[in-house]
Amino acid sequence: MNGPTRGQRWFAAWREQLGRAFGDTLARRLFLLLWVTLVAAQALAIGVVTWSRGEFAAARVPGAPSLPPLPGLMREPPHPSGPQGPQGPQGPQGLQDPRSEPPPEDPGHDVPLPGDLPMPSRDEFHGFPPPPSAQPQAQAPPWRGPFRALTGWELTLDYGIRLLVTGLAAWIASRWLARPMRDLVRASQALGQSLHKQEPLPLLDERRGTLEVRESAQVFNAMARQLRRQFNERGLMVAAISHDLRTPLTRLRMRLETLDIEELQRQRSVEDIREMNALVDAVMELFRGDGPGAAEPLQDVDLGALAQALTDDLVEQAMPVIFEGGDARVLAKGQPMALRRVLGNLIGNAVRYGGRAEVQVGRDAQGPWLRVTDAGPGIPADQLEAVFEPFYRLEESRNRHTGGAGLGLYIARELTLRQRGSLVLSNRPEGGLTAELRLTA
Amino acid sequence: MQLPADDGTRGVSSVAQAGMPPAAVVEARMTRCLVVDDDAEIRRSLDAYLQKFSVTVSAAADGREMRRLMAMQVFDVVVLDLMLPDENGLTLCQWIQQHHPSVPVIMLTAHGDPISRVLGLEMGADDYLAKPFEPRELVARIHAIRRRARRGDHEAQTRREFRFEGWAFDRLLRQLVSPQQVVVPLSSAEFRMLSALVERPGRVLSREQLIELTRAPGVEVNDRSVDLTISRLRQKLGDSPKEPRLIRTMRGEGYLFDAQVQA
Repeated sequence: MNGPTRGQRWFAAWREQLGRAFGDTLARRLFLLLWVTLVAAQALAIGVVTWSRGEFAAARVPGAPSLPPLPGLMREPPHPSGPQGPQGPQGPQGLQDPRSEPPPEDPGHDVPLPGDLPMPSRDEFHGFPPPPSAQPQAQAPPWRGPFRALTGWELTLDYGIRLLVTGLAAWIASRWLARPMRDLVRASQALGQSLHKQEPLPLLDERRGTLEVRESAQVFNAMARQLRRQFNERGLMVAAISHDLRTPLTRLRMRLETLDIEELQRQRSVEDIREMNALVDAVMELFRGDGPGAAEPLQDVDLGALAQALTDDLVEQAMPVIFEGGDARVLAKGQPMALRRVLGNLIGNAVRYGGRAEVQVGRDAQGPWLRVTDAGPGIPADQLEAVFEPFYRLEESRNRHTGGAGLGLYIARELTLRQRGSLVLSNRPEGGLTAELRLTA
Repeated sequence: MQLPADDGTRGVSSVAQAGMPPAAVVEARMTRCLVVDDDAEIRRSLDAYLQKFSVTVSAAADGREMRRLMAMQVFDVVVLDLMLPDENGLTLCQWIQQHHPSVPVIMLTAHGDPISRVLGLEMGADDYLAKPFEPRELVARIHAIRRRARRGDHEAQTRREFRFEGWAFDRLLRQLVSPQQVVVPLSSAEFRMLSALVERPGRVLSREQLIELTRAPGVEVNDRSVDLTISRLRQKLGDSPKEPRLIRTMRGEGYLFDAQVQA
C-alpha cells in the first residue's frame, strides 16, 4: 500500500518537474511541440525513404538522415567533392531528384517543402551559370542511376510519412493543449447546476498544466467558491427577509381580529395582507433553489392530470377556466410542485389580463406541450420577451389592482428553465395570447 | 396570486376537520395550549384571541421557558414557532416527542415552503401552519388535533403517505404516484375525496357521508360534485368507469374503496 503510493507520488512529482522544465508556459509548450514534430517528421521521412531504397544505406550514410535537408547541404550533391560527397548529399539528393526531373514546374511552387529546390537552384544560377548545372547533369547518370527508379512511390512515401507524422502530432497535440480548455468548459457547465443543487463544486486541478492553465484554474475555483458563498448568502438573506416580513404581517393580521373596525375595512386589510404575503411567497419561490437541499427531482408527470387538477381547483372558485384534454396521456419530465406553480401563474395571468383561460395539452415531434390561451388584447409583438423580465409591467397594467408584482412570468420561466423546458408567449391571429410551455419527454 | 398549491397543508388537517360539529360546541372543558413564539405581541394577541374559543393560553418566549412550563403543567397542544432565539423549533419538536409523546404540536413558521413543511411534519409536528395565518384556521386546527387525540385515531389521519395496488398517495404534495412512477397531480376536491376513501377502505360511504367528509371552507359540495370528483379520480387511477375496481359504486348505497391500504 505504501510502496505504490510513494511511487505514484514520486512519479507525479517527477512529471510535474518535467512539465515545469519543458513546458511551463503555453508559449513554450507550443514551441516545443512544433519543433519536435517538424524535426521528427523530417527525420522519420528521410530515414524511412533512405532505408527503403534498400541500399545498404546504413553503411553509406551513417549520420545524414537525422539532419534536416538544409539548402547548404543540398547544393553539395552536384560536386562530388572529397569524402563529403557521398555522405551528406544522399538523403537530399534522393529528394531532389524528382524535382529536378521536371524543372519547368518548379518555379511555380512556392511551398517550402524540404524536397523543394527552386530556391537553392536559383541561387546556384547566380553563382555558377550553365556550366555547373550542366556538369552534374552530365555526371549524373552513373551517380543517380539507382535513385531514379524509386522516385514515384518514394516521393509518395516521403510525403505520406511527413503528412502522417505532422497530422498525428497535430491531432494529439491539439487535444493535449485543448484539454484544459475542455475541462474549463465542462466545469463551467456543471457550476450552474451544482450551485442550484448544493452539490460539491466542480473545482479544477490547480497544480496541473501550464502556468496559464494553473492560473485560470485558480481564478475559476476562487470564482466558484465566491459564487457559492453569495448564493448561500442570498438564500439566507431572502429567508431572513421573508421571516422578518411575515412576523409583522402576522401581528397585523392578529390585530385586525381584535380591532373594532368596520367589517368591510377589515376584509380589505385582510386582502392586503394576503397580497403582501403572496409577494413574499413569490420571491421565496424564486430563491428557494438557492437554499440547501431544495431541488425537487425531475419525475414523469402526467401533464393532463396536472392541467385538469388546476382547472378543477379554479373552477371550484368560480374562475373562467376550461381544460381540453385529449384521450391519450401526455407525460413530461418535470418537477411536480414547480410545474403547479408555473401553470398556476400562466392561468392566473390569462384570467387576469385575458378574461378567461383555456388550457390544452398535447404532444408533437418536439415533445410534450401545454398551452394556455386567453381572450384578451394580447401583448405588442416587441414586448413579448420583455414581459419575462422581473417587475416588468405593460403600460396599461401599471395599476396595481390588475395584477401582482410583475414576477409571475419571470418565475414561471425561471422554473421552466430549471426543468429543461421552454416557455414562450405569442399573439394568436384570431386574438388573445398564447403561452406555450414545452418540456422534455 | 392565490395558488391552490400553496395550501397543500391545509388539506391534511381539513380532512380531519371535515364533518365535525362547530368547534366551540365540542369542547366540554377548556383546551390548554402552550404558545411558544419569540414575538411578544403575537403571544399576547393569541392569548386574547384564543380565549374566545375556550382555549387557555400559556406563553413561552424561548425553548428554555417552554421546557420549564411543560415540566410544571400538562398541555393539550403546543403551538410552536419554527424560529426561536435560543433553539431551533425542529429540535424542540423532537424534544417534545421524546418527553411528552402525547402532546400534539402545531408548527408555526415564516418559511412557507414545502420543504420546511415536510421537515416539520417529519420531525414529529402534527400539523403545520404558515405565517401569517388566518386566526380562524389556527383555532380550527387546534380543535381538530384535540379531537383526533381524544378519538385516538391520531395515526391514520396525520399519516402522510398511503399505498394501495402499487399506487402511492402523498397527502403532503397532494399527488398520486402510479405503479409506473408517473406523478399524477390531484385537485383539492380529488385530494379530499381520496383522503376520505383511503382512510376508510372497505367501507361503503353514502353520498351524504362523502359530502360531510369532503367539505372545505368556501366550497360547495353536493351530490353532483361528489359524482364528478369520483369519476375524475377513477380516470386518474385508470379505473374503468364501466367496471371500476378500486372505487366501486354500490347501487343505492354509495361508494366503496376496495383496496388493501398500507402506510
